[in-house]
Amino acid sequence: MSGSFCDNVDSSRRTFLAGAGLGAAALSTMLTEDALADRSTHFSPRARRVIWLFMAGAPSQLDTLDHKPGLQKLFDKDLPDSIRGAQRLTTMTSSQPRFPIAPSVFRFPRHGDCGKPVSELFPRVGSMADELAFVHTIHTDAINHDPAITLIQTGNQTAGHPSLGAWLSYGLGTMNRNLPSFVVLNCEPRGQALYSRLWGSGFLASRHAGVAFRSQGDPVLYLSNPAGVSRDVRRVMIERLRAMNETILARGGDPETQARIAQYEMAFRMQASVPELVDISGESKSTLEMYGEQATQPGTFAANCLLARRMAERDVRFIQVFHRGWDHHGSLPKNIRRQAGEVDQPAWALVQDLKQRGLLDDTLVIWGGEFGRTVYSQGTLTRSDYGRDHHPRCYSMWFAGGGTAGGVSYGRTDDFSYNIVENPVHIRDLNATILHLLGIDHRRLSVKYQGLDHRLTGVLPARVVKPILA
Amino acid sequence: MAVEFVESDWDVRHMLKLMVNSAAYRQDSRATAAKRAADPDNRLLSRGPRYRLDAEVLRDQALVVGGLLQRRIGGPGVRPYQPKGVWKDVAFAGSNTREYQADSGTALYRRTLYTFWKRTSPPPSMAVFDAPTREQCTVRRERTNTPLQALVLMNDPQYVEAARGLAQQAVKRADVDAERARWMFRRALARAASDVDVDVEQLVAAAGVFRKQFTGDPKAADKLLGVGASPKPDGLDAIECASWTMVANLLMNRDDFLNVE
Repeated sequence: MSGSFCDNVDSSRRTFLAGAGLGAAALSTMLTEDALADRSTHFSPRARRVIWLFMAGAPSQLDTLDHKPGLQKLFDKDLPDSIRGAQRLTTMTSSQPRFPIAPSVFRFPRHGDCGKPVSELFPRVGSMADELAFVHTIHTDAINHDPAITLIQTGNQTAGHPSLGAWLSYGLGTMNRNLPSFVVLNCEPRGQALYSRLWGSGFLASRHAGVAFRSQGDPVLYLSNPAGVSRDVRRVMIERLRAMNETILARGGDPETQARIAQYEMAFRMQASVPELVDISGESKSTLEMYGEQATQPGTFAANCLLARRMAERDVRFIQVFHRGWDHHGSLPKNIRRQAGEVDQPAWALVQDLKQRGLLDDTLVIWGGEFGRTVYSQGTLTRSDYGRDHHPRCYSMWFAGGGTAGGVSYGRTDDFSYNIVENPVHIRDLNATILHLLGIDHRRLSVKYQGLDHRLTGVLPARVVKPILA
Repeated sequence: MAVEFVESDWDVRHMLKLMVNSAAYRQDSRATAAKRAADPDNRLLSRGPRYRLDAEVLRDQALVVGGLLQRRIGGPGVRPYQPKGVWKDVAFAGSNTREYQADSGTALYRRTLYTFWKRTSPPPSMAVFDAPTREQCTVRRERTNTPLQALVLMNDPQYVEAARGLAQQAVKRADVDAERARWMFRRALARAASDVDVDVEQLVAAAGVFRKQFTGDPKAADKLLGVGASPKPDGLDAIECASWTMVANLLMNRDDFLNVE
């Protein structure tokens, strides 16, 4: 930015990084070759990449991972006031005359040497329990989707802050020269809305924002040449443009011109590398079978899990798959079956596929949503049907690979999965842990903006959840 | 400056005038290598700033150069071209902005300040050039330089159509390549091509290559001229128009077209 009269965020970043030891990251520009050098991190990273399977809408922990067998005999009993306390409820249930307990209709068979009970909704995920770290005490500050999903994605409930993937792009640079370092894969639109800010760069430069790959049309917006323009025609145009820009560079001497020459060549390479990335015709039959029937249907969770693996192989640093439709205020047993039915096999396949290819050791896989759901029923409760409202006080997630331990369960909730009994994990702690696995001390990754040193984990204390680390 | 401010009896207008008329403020961005080495970050204001145009200005500039811009002032927001499904990807199931329906006719070519803005899914060709999301106050925009920007400027129908517009004017105005190139250059960059004519030579040479390519594939030329809603050129040679559309596309991706110098 030599043309600017004043400093910008990136030059203060330079100052920061020089002091903090992430030195070489200084000049990283998305996809430019100078950004390829391996970064020195604060300490040795366990994970080089992250794949986050985000369950948007918030899956019920009571029907998936947080087994509460004692609830069966409390069917339709009122949730004790002592448990609910003074907790704020959403207006969707706050005027209910009763808060009747809804035990899960699902069985929780035990799995693996660790004997972990996992809902029958997730037989394949359960089958790899010995490879997963379960956390049952994630808690958040927000009770509605928009602020909660913004909080878990950006560390803040209000818009305007960089998402986790943007922080990683900023702090660690990119590992490859043909693809973005932060990619988002959206599944079929269903239920609650998403917002592009969820993968936005906030006050960081927009090159750190996630690039949303699309399942229809161009995988990356504007990737294809216009009708009538062949790759040969484009090559000529790029070559001629380079010659012209070199003349301009010689005349003006602005390093940004040099950068622009590189960006056009990168764009030209992306026009080849992205179609190659999304072309799964070379995948073996056994691999496709592992992910299930939907693996060949673009936009499905299965297809996106397969793409996530292909991206991990090509060193995309942060890949986030958004699977929507988990907001089960009513008819939960029926609706969650369909949701889990789409997710169980591909999520399992992804972990196994990464393992078989030797990528799981340094790829962190995360499964979970923005908050949990209530033990009491929203609306009518029957033996086979109930709904559950939003519940920010505790919920469950699982982790695989990337330096996390297998067969571990961390944190305990009360008999109603309503309050945390021991070892709470705030979103801040979750973020601190993810950064730790990537070799970053969350207290030392900060950016000056509007007079404050901003961090992903904010100003309140955050801790790394060491017991889930291998 | 402080003393001047006090002695002018705190006259803000006087101060502004003084600043914008100063030699420092009126410099352009050219700098010798020696100057650049002595003042790499321009702390000493040894040259003027050079920076990439903002998202909205880039699009407006393309519309002007392509002869497409509608100058009418005021009125409701408009929906120019947008790739299919961008809103739907993030929309709430029952949202009334789930499906994006582009406008037609003159609404496609209004200044970008009239472009409809959905905050949960801002126009991607704007976001990619650091247009703020409008979710909070932004005092200073970032100005990044990315391959995704190159893709927009090369391939977004809005920019391709603008290039076609520029090409059609050039083909209409002159028969000789060098004249077309010279006119196009002036129209796009608002200055004459350089004395040594290297700029014109580069454009003419490129036109020759594109002409050869489209002559070998005339259908491709027709397809390229079909990009965008504005009418195809009437009575103009399709291969000439297509070749010069690519020259215009080239010109409109030059670094000095994208930057304030």
